[in-house]
Amino acid sequence: MSEHQPKQKKIRPPRSFGWMAEYEDENQLLDAARKVRDAGYSRIDAFTPFPVHGIDEALNIRRTRLPWFSLVAGMTGTTVALLLQWWTNAFDYPYIISGKPYASWPAFIPVTFELTVLFAAFMTVFAMLGLNGLPKFNNPVFTDPKFDRATDDRFFLWVDSRDQYFNAEKVRELLEATGAKAVEEVWEDDSPTEVPKSIYAGIAVLILITLIPGAIVLNMRNSRSPYPRWHIFFDMDFQPSRKAQQPTTIFADGRVQRPPVPGTVARGELGPNDPFLLGYDPEGVAMGKGAAVNVQMVSYQQENSASQEPIEEPPAPPPPQPDTSAADDPQASATADASSEQAGEAPSKPAGDQAPTTAEDEGDAGAGPAAEGEPNYAWLERFPLPVDAELIEVGRREFEQNCAACHGLAGYGDGLVSRRATELAQGYWLQPTSLHEQRIIDQPVGRIYYTITHGKGKMAPYADALTPRERWAVVAYVRVLQRSQNARPEDVPADADLASARGDDTTNR
Amino acid sequence: MASIAVSEVDNTIDTPGRRTPLVTGDQTYASVTHMVSRISEESQPLIWWLTFAVAFPSLLMFGCLIIYLFLTGVGVWGNMSPVFWGWPIVNFVFWVGIGHAGTLISAILYLFRQNWRTSINRAAEAMTIFAVICAGTFPGIHVGRVWFAYWLTPYPSLNLWMWPQFRSPLLWDVFAVGTYASVSLIFWYMGMIPDLATFRDRSKSRLRRMIYGILCLGWSGSSRHWMRYEKAYSILSALATPLVLSVHTVVSFDFAVSQLPGWHTTIFPPYFVAGAIFSGFGMVLTLLIPVRAIYNLKHLITPRHLDNMCKIILATGSMVGLAYVTEFFMAWYSQNKYEYDTFVFRAFGPYWWAYWIMFTCNVISPQVFWFKVFRRNTILMWIVTIFVNIGMWFERFVITVTSLARDFLPSSWGYFSPTWVDIGMLVGSFGLFTTLFLLFCKYLPVVAVSEVKGVMSQHAHAEHRHGHGGDH
Ligand code: HEC
Repeated sequence: MSEHQPKQKKIRPPRSFGWMAEYEDENQLLDAARKVRDAGYSRIDAFTPFPVHGIDEALNIRRTRLPWFSLVAGMTGTTVALLLQWWTNAFDYPYIISGKPYASWPAFIPVTFELTVLFAAFMTVFAMLGLNGLPKFNNPVFTDPKFDRATDDRFFLWVDSRDQYFNAEKVRELLEATGAKAVEEVWEDDSPTEVPKSIYAGIAVLILITLIPGAIVLNMRNSRSPYPRWHIFFDMDFQPSRKAQQPTTIFADGRVQRPPVPGTVARGELGPNDPFLLGYDPEGVAMGKGAAVNVQMVSYQQENSASQEPIEEPPAPPPPQPDTSAADDPQASATADASSEQAGEAPSKPAGDQAPTTAEDEGDAGAGPAAEGEPNYAWLERFPLPVDAELIEVGRREFEQNCAACHGLAGYGDGLVSRRATELAQGYWLQPTSLHEQRIIDQPVGRIYYTITHGKGKMAPYADALTPRERWAVVAYVRVLQRSQNARPEDVPADADLASARGDDTTNR
Repeated sequence: MASIAVSEVDNTIDTPGRRTPLVTGDQTYASVTHMVSRISEESQPLIWWLTFAVAFPSLLMFGCLIIYLFLTGVGVWGNMSPVFWGWPIVNFVFWVGIGHAGTLISAILYLFRQNWRTSINRAAEAMTIFAVICAGTFPGIHVGRVWFAYWLTPYPSLNLWMWPQFRSPLLWDVFAVGTYASVSLIFWYMGMIPDLATFRDRSKSRLRRMIYGILCLGWSGSSRHWMRYEKAYSILSALATPLVLSVHTVVSFDFAVSQLPGWHTTIFPPYFVAGAIFSGFGMVLTLLIPVRAIYNLKHLITPRHLDNMCKIILATGSMVGLAYVTEFFMAWYSQNKYEYDTFVFRAFGPYWWAYWIMFTCNVISPQVFWFKVFRRNTILMWIVTIFVNIGMWFERFVITVTSLARDFLPSSWGYFSPTWVDIGMLVGSFGLFTTLFLLFCKYLPVVAVSEVKGVMSQHAHAEHRHGHGGDH
């Protein structure tokens, strides 16, 4: 103390903060604290190396509000977690996973628990520091070198000079009377309390430097640049595989794209141009509005190239490089087909125009939407194969398996699927066409065959479910149904047993 | 002068009517402070430097391997169909398990008023944090495109337009391990503040004083501060206790919530937690036995402490053994063909060696702690703890790899073999762990000095009161 005072006087009269007494043992401290408290002082404190049992009561320390902070933080954690999980998984981005409901509360428990603990724990520590006024680096008690032992093995009692009854002399006497090892006055810290400017400058520079990378990234993300983007991580942007039309050293011909292996048959190119497979005679195509229709066929084929049937072999000038990519390019081949189809008839249509804009060209093609885009081929009027009981039997089987669900066993368009859809009043359900409509009865067999092969409107194609022979068999059976359901009296053989025939009919169906 | 008059006694024996001392050898508050502070103030012994010379290069190797992994991809590991969770996940679960002892000691034993924890809790908590750092590394680098690991956090992303999937145990895991790591860290730091102040007040150099002064946030030891500090400590303990139990529970969900035979088991949560405590105490002993010998802390970390920890190891080791047996019983009792086959395959299939290493190390080796010799002789004890560490690594291996190696279809059966990168990373993670622990010994208070003093004071009071009464 004596060596402190002269130093302080250099600047201005030192300010006293209070008196401090030093004890060697916690029991002495406790006794002293009680005495000082009983003398009426309230701005008192003790500094000890460990929490001394009983000091709270001796110093009249009130209980802390800390637990409330933890409680509120914990509840906040719970709420945040539940809201976060509900909002992200059930509201903003609902996504079904492992059959759980969007808001699957049991699955939200773990994260809720963790966030509750996380919030409460951090709040506990920070509230403790905050209520204690920490961090606080310029504490007047630190000016006394003796005080270093407050974290080792000495116990200090402190009376603040701001206490309402404070009187320096009386306090000193009181403390000395408690058997303190030393009693000292604590003076204002004479070391500069202000942090040197250079430190602030240093911190500012550091902060600025750390901001630079982020600023660069932000700038890059929000501006345009003629240069390719900067790759820190390449992800899958650059792969060793080559792109189309690039050279390679792997193959002898130096080309990346490979020609088809000799003998390869492309999809849809199987078999000759056989009316048996097509349902119409390709030689007889070019009549009436064929050209316009064929433009539409091209676009249709482009969309459904998987199930396409060749319309016609591309005529004269053959593609310059039959083994290169020209065949892979649907645009190119479609254009070629279109132009070849159109060659004779409709020069007004540009070859590349594949839009189905042809409806007005064929206003008289037929009634209703079914007529729209109706292909106009030379339909086979007769079966291209012998029709016998065995074929019809095949047809019956296939019809009942593939068609009856919609069209009904007798072909009236009242199959089970259809009836159920009607019952459920499903607006988008299109009633399957009754096969006994006059329009269908009038259709040539090739036309029905074509419907089965390519589908029709909402009806799916059956080319991959039924072989051509089975398709013809189904056509034959459709004819049988039409004949039987629309029979005229003349159709009944004179010697028929009508009653048993009808009975047969119903049991078979 | 508060001196605890205790002569050299065997404090592993409880004498009725006397409180068994937790600190031996006539310690005063000053001598305890000195005993701990000197470790950081004096230069480190040769063995420290030797260990560091091995550990630090391993850490560097770990770093290089991670860079190699980033640049090349996860194919550098042995993870291959059908075993897509290989060593990285084994190491993750192993290290998380180890990281259980620290918070268990500081939180659960605090709530149970087990005062003997004060001498060991600091080191155990440090170990916890370092183990969790090792653990966190592995799933972090396991995600493939590491630079997108932040997608795991729920933030409103303008690129993804989607949110993490909160119904997945893997995301629970992110939250559980993340919470555990940060809460353990802050708990550890808060516990260290008074001791950092001690370091500050003892420091001779200005720089040292400044650094520790900043670290301890200007702690003065005011009684008001202590009161709030103690309150905060007990609240944190109450929060950390269920947290400890939850972490390995959630880790076990990673496995148990899946449909895989060998993983889809309801006993996983308690089984994993028991295993975690077991391995954690094993690692605490592995570290503290040398620390106490090298830094001469025998009076603070007394035979009684070691004895208690051996008993915990014995108890949890037997629980783990019970879990192994239960798994087999359930596999047989459930009459589920796949479950049964998986377990027969584990014990008698191509991985039989791993299974029996695990069983011997975890269940049989701790049984020696029934005998007092093993609970007193530090060398024997240390050897057993090494077996415990090995056994627990193999337990994670057995659970992770053997269940995956046999899928339902024989066509997807396989055998896992690690690559050199796998092995290097396991070694490297030990390098990271050891380096951090060595630095901890060098720079931070290894024992919670203020807590030990508090316990000494309480004991002195108790002795004082009972001593005068003459009886109990
Ligand atoms: C999924 C239900 C369904 C099945 C199965 C089904 N169809 Fe159809 N069918 C329809 C619908 C719907 C239409 C009306 C299509 C339209 O006009 O959009 C239709 C129309 C038809 C037409 C009239 C085509 C025209 O020119 O208007 C015929 C013929 C036909 N189907 C025959 C068959 C045959 C033969 C089978 C079995 C190979 C079959 N359908 C299977 C639903 C079905």
